[in-house]
Amino acid sequence: MNETQLVLLLILVAFLPVLYLSGRRVQEGKVPDLRTISAFDALRGVTARAIETGRSVHTSPGLGGITGDLTADSLAGLSILEYLADQSAAAGAPPIVTIANPTLLPLAQDVIRRPYGADQEEAARAARDVRWIAPEPAAYAAGVMGVLGEEAVDANVMIGAFGDEYLLIGEAASRRRITHIGGASDPNVVPFIFASADQTLIGEEIYAAGAYLTRKPWHIGSLLAQDFLRWGIVLIVVALVIIKTLF
Amino acid sequence: MTVGLLVLADFFVNSDAVNALGLYLIRTASIVAAFALVLGMVNVVTVHLGNVSRQEKGWAYSVVLLVAMIITLGTGFLTGGPGSTQMRQLFESVLFPLEATLYSLLAFFVVTAAYRAFRVKSLESGLFVTFAIIVLLGQVPIAVRLWDQLPVIKDWVLEVPALAGARGILLGVALGTAATGLRVLLGIDRPYVD
Repeated sequence: MNETQLVLLLILVAFLPVLYLSGRRVQEGKVPDLRTISAFDALRGVTARAIETGRSVHTSPGLGGITGDLTADSLAGLSILEYLADQSAAAGAPPIVTIANPTLLPLAQDVIRRPYGADQEEAARAARDVRWIAPEPAAYAAGVMGVLGEEAVDANVMIGAFGDEYLLIGEAASRRRITHIGGASDPNVVPFIFASADQTLIGEEIYAAGAYLTRKPWHIGSLLAQDFLRWGIVLIVVALVIIKTLF
Repeated sequence: MTVGLLVLADFFVNSDAVNALGLYLIRTASIVAAFALVLGMVNVVTVHLGNVSRQEKGWAYSVVLLVAMIITLGTGFLTGGPGSTQMRQLFESVLFPLEATLYSLLAFFVVTAAYRAFRVKSLESGLFVTFAIIVLLGQVPIAVRLWDQLPVIKDWVLEVPALAGARGILLGVALGTAATGLRVLLGIDRPYVD
C-alpha cells in the first residue's frame, strides 16, 4: 500500500464512525442549528414564484455524469432537482431539466417521476421536460442558452460540475432578467458564478442540499461529520506548521 | 452497495483476484454507461419531433437539428466511424468553428459580468472589487510606472489569500465528496432508478 492509499484509508476509517455517530445523533432528535445559506432560502421560493407567474424553473445538474470524478457534484445537482420536483409536482408544473452527460438522463427522469407515484400518465408527461442537450460543453451551453432565450423561464438553477461555459449560460440568464441560483465545487468556476448569479453556493455547500432543503437526518449527520474532520485537519495542519517551524 | 465496496477494496488492496474483479465491474459500468448515449439520442429525437409536430416556437431549429443528426449519423455509419476522413472533416469544418465562435463570446461576457459584479453592494462585493482592481492593474506594464509595488501586491494576493481560499474550498469539497460517496456506498442515498 502506497502513501496516498494509506492516507485515504485513514481518512475513510476516521470518517465512518464519525458519520455513523453523527447520523444516529440527528436521528435521535438532537438536530443542530445550521448556519443560514441564502441560496437555499432562495431555492425554497423559486417554484412558488414560477407557478404564480405561469413560467417554468430551468435546472441543470451540470456536465458531470455518474461514472467519473464528478459523480458527487452530479448527485448534488440531483438533490436540488429532487427538491424542486417535489415542490412542483403538487401544481403539476415540473421543472425543465437539461442534461449534458447521458448517464444522468435516466436518473433525472426518475427523480422527476417519483413525486407522481402511481399516476403514470402525469409522471410520463413530467419526464418529457428532462432533455438531453449535448455532451460537449460548448454545444450544451448553446442549447441551454436557447432554452433560456426561447422558453418562458422564471428561474435558472445550475448546481453541479461546470466549466467556462457556465458564464455563457449565466449571462444569457442575466440578460433575460431570470432569477439565477448557481453553485459549483471547482474554485476556477466560482468567480463566474459570483459574477453572474443572484445567489451562489460555493464549494462544499452544493453537497448540503439534502440537509438544508429536505432535512434528511443522515445528510445533517454527514455535515456534522465533515465539520468534525475539518477541525481535525486544521489542527493537524497547525501542529505540523509549528513542528516544522520549531524543529 | 456490495459492488461499490468491491471497487473501493480494489483501490486499497493489491490482490490479483480483487483487482481483476474491480476491473471487470468498472468495464461493465462503462458498457452500461455507453448505452445511456442511445437513451440520450432517443430523448433528443422525441423532444424535437414533438416540437416539429406541435409547430412550437422555434420548430424550424428542431428540423435543422434532426437533419444535422441524420447527416452526421449517416456519414459515420457509411464511412467507417468517427476516425474516418469525412467525419474528421465534418467536425473540423462545422463543430470546431462553431465552438470557437461561442467561446470567443466569453471575452465580451466576462466584461458584462464584471460590470455587474463590480457594483459594490456588500462587504464581499467590496472586497471582490478591491482585489480585482489590484490584480488587473498588477498585470499591466503601466502598473510599475504608477506604483512599483503593485505587481508585488498582485503576486501576494494570488499566492497567499487567493491560494489559501482555493485550498480551503478544495479541502471542503474533498470532505463533501467523501461524505456523499460514503452515503451512496452505505445505501443511505439511493440516487439510482428503483
